[in-house]
Amino acid sequence: MKRRIFLSFPALLAAQSTPSEDPLLKVMQGEMERAKSLSVVGGQPVYYMECSVDEVHSFSAQASLGGLINSRSNYFRLPGVGLRIGNMDFDNTNYLLSDLFQGTRYDQSQLPLENNLSALRHNFWLALDRAYKTAIEAIGRKKAALRNVTQSETLPDFSAAPPAKLLEPVAAWNLNEEIWKNLAKEWSLVFRNHPDIYDSTVDVEISRDTLFYANTYGAEVRMTEDLFYVRARANSQAPDGMVVRDSITVMSMGANQAPARETVRAEIAKVAANIDALRKAPAADSYNGPVLFEGLAAAQLFAEMIGGQAATVRQPVVEPGRPSPVSASDFEGRRGSRVLPTEFTVVDDPTQKTYRGRPLMGYYPVDQEGVKPEPVVLVEKGNWAGYLATRQPTRETKASNGHARLKGNFGANQAYISNLFVKAEGGVEPAALRQRFLEMLQQRNKPYGLLLRKLDFPSTGGLTELRQMFAGAGSRPVPFPLLAYKIYPDGREELVRGLRFRNMSSRALRDIIATGNDETQFDFIGNGAPLALVGAGNYIVGVSVVAPSVIFDDLELDRPQTELPKLPAVPPPPFSSI
Amino acid sequence: MSFSSLLSAQKAAPAPSVVQVLADELERNRKALAEADPKPYFISYQLFDLESQSVNASMGGITNSNANRNRILDVSVRVGSPALDNYRQIRGDRPRFAAAASVPIDGDLDTLRRRVWLETDRVYRAAAQRLINIKSNQQVKLDGDDKSADFSPAPPTQKSVSVPPLQFDRKKFEERARAWSAYFSGKPNVLASGVTVVAQREFKTIVNSEGTRLEFGRTYARILISAQGKAADGMNLFASETFEAESPSSLPDDKTVQAAVEKVYTKLTALLKAPLAEPANVPAILSGKAAGVFFHEIFGHRIEGHRQKDETEGQTFTKMVGQKILPDFLSVKMDPTLHKLAGTELYGWFDFDDEGVPARPVSVVKQGVLENFLMSRSPIQGFLESNGHGRKQPGAEVVSRQSNLVVESSRQYTPKQLREQLVEEIKKQQKPYGLYFEEVSSGFTITSRRGLQAFSVFPVMVYKVYADGRPDELVRGADIVGTPLTSFSKIAATSSEVTVFNGYCGAESGQVPVSASSPALLVTEIEIALRDRSLERPPFLGPPAGISGGVE
Repeated sequence: MKRRIFLSFPALLAAQSTPSEDPLLKVMQGEMERAKSLSVVGGQPVYYMECSVDEVHSFSAQASLGGLINSRSNYFRLPGVGLRIGNMDFDNTNYLLSDLFQGTRYDQSQLPLENNLSALRHNFWLALDRAYKTAIEAIGRKKAALRNVTQSETLPDFSAAPPAKLLEPVAAWNLNEEIWKNLAKEWSLVFRNHPDIYDSTVDVEISRDTLFYANTYGAEVRMTEDLFYVRARANSQAPDGMVVRDSITVMSMGANQAPARETVRAEIAKVAANIDALRKAPAADSYNGPVLFEGLAAAQLFAEMIGGQAATVRQPVVEPGRPSPVSASDFEGRRGSRVLPTEFTVVDDPTQKTYRGRPLMGYYPVDQEGVKPEPVVLVEKGNWAGYLATRQPTRETKASNGHARLKGNFGANQAYISNLFVKAEGGVEPAALRQRFLEMLQQRNKPYGLLLRKLDFPSTGGLTELRQMFAGAGSRPVPFPLLAYKIYPDGREELVRGLRFRNMSSRALRDIIATGNDETQFDFIGNGAPLALVGAGNYIVGVSVVAPSVIFDDLELDRPQTELPKLPAVPPPPFSSI
Repeated sequence: MSFSSLLSAQKAAPAPSVVQVLADELERNRKALAEADPKPYFISYQLFDLESQSVNASMGGITNSNANRNRILDVSVRVGSPALDNYRQIRGDRPRFAAAASVPIDGDLDTLRRRVWLETDRVYRAAAQRLINIKSNQQVKLDGDDKSADFSPAPPTQKSVSVPPLQFDRKKFEERARAWSAYFSGKPNVLASGVTVVAQREFKTIVNSEGTRLEFGRTYARILISAQGKAADGMNLFASETFEAESPSSLPDDKTVQAAVEKVYTKLTALLKAPLAEPANVPAILSGKAAGVFFHEIFGHRIEGHRQKDETEGQTFTKMVGQKILPDFLSVKMDPTLHKLAGTELYGWFDFDDEGVPARPVSVVKQGVLENFLMSRSPIQGFLESNGHGRKQPGAEVVSRQSNLVVESSRQYTPKQLREQLVEEIKKQQKPYGLYFEEVSSGFTITSRRGLQAFSVFPVMVYKVYADGRPDELVRGADIVGTPLTSFSKIAATSSEVTVFNGYCGAESGQVPVSASSPALLVTEIEIALRDRSLERPPFLGPPAGISGGVE
């Protein structure tokens, strides 16, 4: 399931729209029209409904060392419905159990692939009935929960936004799967020249999601999003037992825009080279002092520390005494406060398709709620300036700016970054930045400084590793350095491994003391999870981050004292001669 | 797009077989680990080559049509000694070392070797760690009653049985499923419905350090038809028909399935109108299929060998070997070598179990007397060897499981005579009615000591039978409940006609295909209880109308 886009619309009047020519949209509109009378039979006014179908074609292949591990192709239609009773000020959403349905589900989770109208209608009939029953229960419980608490502030549950109409043509899905299977195998052969790498995989994922969306305010959307990516992962152990791993994701908006096979191969080869280098690298010592983040590492850091917290989250109504399941963003309530040096401006802009000639992964014409996106200035001259928003009002946002990109909880969607531009005035050439860094080391009498080239983001860490990270951190996890180098005053570099940030938080961003004038574009697959953890979340979206290299004045890094696994008792099997 | 030169070169080389690669890698690992502490005394690799084809349809449209192929590797390493090894169950803690690791499907042997090595390493580490835990646990806990060893000897087996490729005509089944499912279109009382056609092929390779080298497997095919509705009082009702066969080609013809689709609808419609059952304790007849499920639940699970030495288990029959546990006209066998019975292909057959032990029929109860348990290579007191019933699904650990359960009777009556006896019994007991359980969907049983030693069987089609000649009356919402020993003592007679229930059984070692065959049973007393019922309203609005199933 790839990107999903829902469209929703204004608030005021339920305009009677002319039925669409698209059979799927027509069915949805027809059943929503019929469901308006639910208010009469159920006694609770329905003020908003939406129906959607994600028609998904997907293909995936995984290979290792030239062997195909599996390949799958799928074609299915996922229906969705949303229904609100009450009014925008107070409805069935934004409550801990808003999505809880305790009855029997009769509507199917997958729709017929043919436009069989009676089957489609039947399903939306039952789905809306289920949504209505869920809504009645939720609003009742929500009112009961609120009876015994005093809300410090009351926010509306929904906000108005203009309805969108966008009917893109649906192209035929033609994919030569054999080509991609063979490429996955071919790319995975890169690791055969690296016998010390224990395990390696190359995944190829290609998908197309055509969203059909209609709501009771006349929104009508049919739009297609294509996504292509190759992800390579590998791991091994250093002689002392420390697990070393690396990964790379190469992506594009669809298989027809996929990078050349040699380009992909070269990126995968870097993963293999990195693992080999990390195995041989010495374990790092603890470090205190200035840290230079080169382009990619800086973009990864901003993606997590700014991008991961650029939206404020609505606290759902909970029964008195229950803890809220949602933790606030670091930047909530900090509008106008200094979060970065004054040279910095950060903008999230989903309306841009390319940057300096290169496609951006975060472009979309309408968001999941059918709202046309707008650029949002998150940081202006170092001060926090705005937040990403959906149609769900929060303490910081009253109206949508078209950033509902992921499915959220409690009847709402989740706002997420798209194309994040981090810009700093007065940046210098990368060579000059490096020179400046070396000078700082000398001034401070440091035997060496720390240069970071790549962080573990999106993280491919396993569960155990993640648990350690969350347990130790106390707050939000910070991606750890994957490629960290000691850099000596004479410019010599030495790769080290095993470093983790200590006490790193968004506050550290104010301690950036120098920036480059370089701009690195980093594309990744976001899913709303911390560290964009690979495999977390059911929904994924493309994101691009453009950022300069930066120097932090003073950071702490250390090597956690954990027990390291032993090396395998049996050496790896040799490869057959080829 | 062409293969890389590397790949094509590799393809050209004469390749050893999968079984050979597994054997070589096993030997390489065994040798190297022989120097380690603790050293393994047994290693085995099981590779599942699984192919599945499925078509789902609902109301005249295909909702999903998929093909899948994967290969899964499970590794077993035993350290310690057969008397005490890393597989011993510590109270409440079942060992699990297998992890269903994916290995290449295109026969790339280098990739296979590497994954085998990685899995062996992982399992060896876990095995060594668990053995230490077990040994410390031994020092602080009392022994259970059964002081058997953890692993029994079994002679190595070498055999290669070929399995025909899966022949699945996707187009044909898509068309048929679409047509069959269309029957439920425009039937307002059917809220959800579907037709699924599934075909599978499994090919297993087992090699172990004792010299076992096996390749074997089988194919399966199944058609499932289901429909759901909601009675006016909120009760959710369900009707289904299934067909199981050894391969897609032996599935029933179009007409037979179409008739079954219509039967599902007829059953659901009748159930929706049927009155509620009330709790009762009355004489009854269980149809052959219902009796099969009844035996599978209350009896079959309790003769699984590993439960006899698990101190958390109820151990109903553990100390009853040689004693009478069933009426003397009944015998029960478990026969994984049987492919067909009473004209029906059986789901629970196999050539070898998942420990590579050859399948064989096991006489469990002879003329009412308990003779045997179902055994894997985990021995129990008095039963020191496997009888080929160690089974599992990929990623689980073997325990003893059922295969084809067959109930045989020497007190047989024609169905008509059996019914007459039921009527007699109703009169004798002065009950207002008796029950006829025509069809059951499934059941479950609790064998754990902490729970009640009870079972439930979920009937779908149950009729009240009156002694005064009134026609039978369908009722809904009744579950059969009972306790095993009492229930067995109430079996009075059987019919002469055997019917088969095919299905999947879920337990500690996952889902395995099984069957249960039995003649219909007359029981002098059976207890039914009210089923948990939904109180949710039927849909507020009536079904959509005005569109006649057209496809645009």
